[in-house]
Amino acid sequence: MALPSLGEMSIGSEMDIVTARKAVREVATALGFGLTDVTRAVTAASELARNIYTFAGQGVMHWRILNGPSGAGLELTFEDHGPGIPDVELALQPGYTTSKGMGMGLPGSQRLMDELEIHSVVGQGTTVVVRKWRKK
Amino acid sequence: MSHENITVVKVRDVLLVTMPPDPDDTTISALQTEAIEAMERHRARGLVLDISAVETLDSFFARTVAETTRMIALMGGQTIVAGMHPSVAITAVQLGLTLGSAQTVLSVDRALDRLAAAPPRR
Repeated sequence: MALPSLGEMSIGSEMDIVTARKAVREVATALGFGLTDVTRAVTAASELARNIYTFAGQGVMHWRILNGPSGAGLELTFEDHGPGIPDVELALQPGYTTSKGMGMGLPGSQRLMDELEIHSVVGQGTTVVVRKWRKK
Repeated sequence: MSHENITVVKVRDVLLVTMPPDPDDTTISALQTEAIEAMERHRARGLVLDISAVETLDSFFARTVAETTRMIALMGGQTIVAGMHPSVAITAVQLGLTLGSAQTVLSVDRALDRLAAAPPRR
């Protein structure tokens, strides 16, 4: 199957969250991820896409296939120009929330993926990068 | 794009809702409203939520199920979630999700057995 090695889609509605999940499921499955890792990546994407929709209203998800020294991986980048996160350390604490959510999105996504990085500037926006490597 | 519809089916005195594989937020919110309205309309003893087709359970979905369970409990009913996939269960635990006080069983059959065994609603 010919799979483009990168792509992007905008996140600006509830339906876009579903579309983002479908895109991640398709790419992760085509990469040869096992069902549980596909589910982990799709669920993390759902949390991070919803963060964009809830806090920034609008943003973009980029995905990219990686060829690391230890094999193939999937990188997802969630970028917005929303309010930003004043304290990233705090936002990564389970249960910390500024919305009516459960405060599971960021720390949970960190546990579901192999790597998570956050770059955020208050008043400018937030970029969250997550990676998952294919198990051998 | 329109959201998928939620159908609440009455089986004896129990409500049964089958969730689609990848429900959007509107569909999940509709589940809550329609289930509690159907509870009153049918004087049901509880709700069975069949999630055996569900591929993604995220925090929004889990929170809505937990809230719905509390609402149904306040109305005097039980909520049983049936048929969670192993990959969904693994992911839910790692993400830190719970379904509140909803009971969970392997299949709709077992959910109906459990509700049939429960004391009748006053």
